[in-house]
Amino acid sequence: MNTADTLRQTVGELQPTLLRIARLQLRNDAWAEDAVSETLISALEGVDRFEGQSQLKTWVVGILKHKIIDQFRRSGREVSIEAQAEAAEAETFDEIFTQDGHRQHEPLDWGDPESTLSRTQFLEILQICVDELPATLGRVFMMREWLELETAQICKELKITSTNCFVMLHRARLRLRECLELRWFAGKKMA
Amino acid sequence: MMKGWFVITCRQAHALLSRRADGALPLMDRLRLRLHLTVCDWCTRVSRQFQFISDAVRRLGR
Repeated sequence: MNTADTLRQTVGELQPTLLRIARLQLRNDAWAEDAVSETLISALEGVDRFEGQSQLKTWVVGILKHKIIDQFRRSGREVSIEAQAEAAEAETFDEIFTQDGHRQHEPLDWGDPESTLSRTQFLEILQICVDELPATLGRVFMMREWLELETAQICKELKITSTNCFVMLHRARLRLRECLELRWFAGKKMA
Repeated sequence: MMKGWFVITCRQAHALLSRRADGALPLMDRLRLRLHLTVCDWCTRVSRQFQFISDAVRRLGR
């Protein structure tokens, strides 16, 4: 198998991951499948320009981001209702803070977490934590941190106020922090 | 220290840390947060962890 064939195979293997990401963002199987198909077609057409697999993956994921954003534009209002409902829900963070605003528990020292970034096992745990976020929260968070959209753009796409948007992003970060601490860092006994 | 004006709780500091990741903070909030972080090790820790989470999430799917 030559290099181009190997890379074509890599593109094919990315499909399940791409589909999961697209479904989370678009909440519509048909749109998600369209976005992924279009991404794979573009990727296969351009595959000859790449030499390495990791560079190729970054590029393919970049294409998918654009396809997802295009679909947001086309679908407009249809995607927004659920977000409004979840944004309106009150959040107290009682499990993290006391009534007077102190933390209930000391946040663990994660040591030098950057060294874990290259570990597949850690990224799998992170993915589980993201998947466990309430649906809309996960979606808004990934729009911000993974699709790297500006907050103003997210508010506009989902028709929610910027305050709601900030609250949801904050809620998602707190939950992810707790989840990673529980599932990864607490077991690592980092000094 | 002007209590009630500059002093914020950890809960408020956490919210400002997140808000800071999503756009520029108003000057007063920036000052409040900076002051809080100079005296609060726990929130300083969380500040680094939020940044780490952001870096880590960008690696998903690739």
